[in-house]
Amino acid sequence: MTFSSLRRLPLFRGQEAGLVAVIFGLSVAFSFFNPNFLSTDNLRNVLVAVAVVGIMSIGQTFVIIAREIDLSVGSVMGLSGLCGAYAMSQGLNPILGICLAIAVGAAAGLVNGLIVVYGRVNSFIATLGMLSVARGLTQVISGGLPIMVDPSVMFIGQGALFDVPVQVLIFVGLVIVGQIVLKRSVLGQRIIAVGDNDEAARLSGIPLNATRVAVFVFSGVLAAVAGMVYTAQVSVAEAQAGTGLELDVIAAVVIGGASLSGGRGSILGAMLGAYLLGALRNAFILLELSPFLQQMSVGLVIVLAALFDQFRQGAFRHAGIAQILPGLLRLRTK
Amino acid sequence: MTGPGLPTDANTALEITSIGKSFGSVHALIDVSMSFRSGLVTALLGENGAGKSTLIRICSGELQPSSGEVIISGVPTIISGPLAATGLGIAVVHQEPQLVSEMTVAENIFLARLSACSGASMHRRSRLVTDAQKLLGGFGLASDLPDLDRKCASLSAAERQLVEIARALAVNPRVLFLDEPNSSLTRRETDRLFAIVRRLRDQGTAVVLVSHRLGEVYEIADRVVVMRDGRKVGEGTVEELPKQKAIRSMAGERLSAAEVIPDSGAPATPSVDTSATPVLSVRGAAGLAFRNVDLDIRAGEIVGMAGLVGSGRTEIIRAIIGADPLLAGKIRLRGKPVRFTSPRKALRGGVAFISEERRTSIFYGHDICFNLTSNVLERFGRFGFFSSRQRTEFAQESADGIGVKAQSVAAPIRSLSGGNQQKVLLARALASNPSLVILDEPTRGVDVRTKADMYHLIRNLAHVQGLAVWFVSSELDEILQLADRIVVVREGRIADNLERGPQAARVVASALGETVEDAAVTSLVSNLSLPDGTLPEEPQPGSHPQKRTVR
Repeated sequence: MTFSSLRRLPLFRGQEAGLVAVIFGLSVAFSFFNPNFLSTDNLRNVLVAVAVVGIMSIGQTFVIIAREIDLSVGSVMGLSGLCGAYAMSQGLNPILGICLAIAVGAAAGLVNGLIVVYGRVNSFIATLGMLSVARGLTQVISGGLPIMVDPSVMFIGQGALFDVPVQVLIFVGLVIVGQIVLKRSVLGQRIIAVGDNDEAARLSGIPLNATRVAVFVFSGVLAAVAGMVYTAQVSVAEAQAGTGLELDVIAAVVIGGASLSGGRGSILGAMLGAYLLGALRNAFILLELSPFLQQMSVGLVIVLAALFDQFRQGAFRHAGIAQILPGLLRLRTK
Repeated sequence: MTGPGLPTDANTALEITSIGKSFGSVHALIDVSMSFRSGLVTALLGENGAGKSTLIRICSGELQPSSGEVIISGVPTIISGPLAATGLGIAVVHQEPQLVSEMTVAENIFLARLSACSGASMHRRSRLVTDAQKLLGGFGLASDLPDLDRKCASLSAAERQLVEIARALAVNPRVLFLDEPNSSLTRRETDRLFAIVRRLRDQGTAVVLVSHRLGEVYEIADRVVVMRDGRKVGEGTVEELPKQKAIRSMAGERLSAAEVIPDSGAPATPSVDTSATPVLSVRGAAGLAFRNVDLDIRAGEIVGMAGLVGSGRTEIIRAIIGADPLLAGKIRLRGKPVRFTSPRKALRGGVAFISEERRTSIFYGHDICFNLTSNVLERFGRFGFFSSRQRTEFAQESADGIGVKAQSVAAPIRSLSGGNQQKVLLARALASNPSLVILDEPTRGVDVRTKADMYHLIRNLAHVQGLAVWFVSSELDEILQLADRIVVVREGRIADNLERGPQAARVVASALGETVEDAAVTSLVSNLSLPDGTLPEEPQPGSHPQKRTVR
């Protein structure tokens, strides 16, 4: 079988199919070392662990498809979770409290979007600023002290429906909604068009600015949902919640097959990407391997996923690796 | 491989044999062989899309040929990249100067040094300046670029072109390609450029010149090579291949393209109600590159806008549809005053636009269906969601209606030829049910057959469906074949506004840089679409007056 005919296998057509295969293969392999790995309980543990990152990666996928990036999701998650908890601790109705948290996330996303679109600031810079500002604001509001969460909202992060944790239901539900919005809504198609070729989108009458602002608002809202889930999960809102998660989120999106050059990506893929990262971390704990190895393997997975995606796109034909690799393989067999 | 009377000899600086180049299913070059001799100026002629630029890009290492060989001084050579080409003494002056705008004039002139020496060597600005002074002084250009420490961002178009030329001179080229070097130069600046070219030629450089201004080309060229649709169709000395003959072989088959156009009942003559309110009326429009533009376009009328590249034609359109700022002027759409602030608003008002560059129009990562329906998705559903089935059906229907050749609308847009991509863009523009369609260079880089199809489609739109059509073209015969009324743009102003006819043909020919007296041009014109066969001229083999259908 030649290198190029591999590309035509159905498995290689979508990043999702490849990811499912990789996740399945790894799970089977890990279960040889620790049979608990494939147990329902452990599956649930992994899903619970990735729900927060996964929810944020849905919003980030929209942002990355539009050829932007949102580095502020971790901070916005912390800020909105804390705002919700704080308002409830001041006596606000829990439902209104959740709404407030989401409004805070949407506002942060809106500010990001407006600065990127109308201020013409690169989104990397604008959201890097928001990362710091939102984190600082969180510390100002909390005064550095943790805030207890109203017990009535704790079911979001600790409850279960039909034995399925609520945050997993929220995560999977949002993935389905997100995928439908991306593939079947006018806005979703506009986001893809803007990311693929913004000048073509503009000249063909697609509202460029509104579409770009929308993706940042999406990302902010989903960061807020993640913030509430996380706060409910740990029962307490603290100023450092979500620190550094933006990198996990972006990694999940990229593993899921989104292209940082825009126009391409999948919400399902991002979900699988988040799951793969969570499953790897979980496996290293169950197999009692060094946490340093775990960090290395996560990094490897990110780069391998990107390389695999390039291979699927046929980019190596030009890069020359497709010519070199078979030669190397032949050398070894000689 | 040289033309008649010019046997291959030691003077051949660069030779290409049986070069072919394809981009996907598009064949840009087919079995092209030619040679460029030291001490001669070769003019490379051909229309847009004939393959001249591809040929230059292959010779300068920007592209690799799909087949065939490049032979330099008798040695078959693979030019791996532009840096390698520079090392081999091949330099290119691009039509659009490729300058680093944040660097100074001197730094840009010696940009090749950045790649030639190791990254660790010192960057001595003062040395660059003295070297640049020496170089420019040697060619008598010192007074044109007095401040070599200026950043290129602040230069005028002509100055930028000069820097681009100086950069090519800096590598001491054995072969120099000039790709429309004078399209942004005035006559005086062109004369100076030609003086430089003559000097290089006398020093033994092989110069290859691409230009659409034939009058100027024939002042300086020693040999002429004509290309059409990716093939070499003629070659010889300027005596063997005079201007008239060259024009004929450039246009070649396309002269008879008029005949290819199927007569399917679309009246060739418009029925325009001149008393009706114009669909679009522009008064006193001014923008960054144009002033005092007045224009009326009526329903059922095809208005052709002629002018050289850079005359302001594209800028006028972009400002009117809101893609660029419009500084002054009144626009009325069906009598109602409007001011479009974005192409989206224009589209909503019923004005659809297709840009001249497919690069800025196509969503390359997606299929035909996505490209065709990208701005009308609302129609296939409600509440912001759409039915994918309805969308595919619509795309299939309109792709079939406009004659897009593809297996299905799920085929990636990349897999289509340029002409078919252009048809998809036209279908996209029409999907929004516009009352005015604006087409910037509707058939750039499109093959003859598709060109004929496009003409037919456009005629049908205006003359049968009653749309107003406004197109821009730098091709003389396209303007003459297609336009009911011709607007000539020169230096950002409307210079003429004419009904079609022999008079218009002469004016347009002169606006496009062809000489008015030139018998070949007038004969070409008379063979195209002029009514009543004016301007009797010797019959040309292989071309016939256009058949006309009048209902």
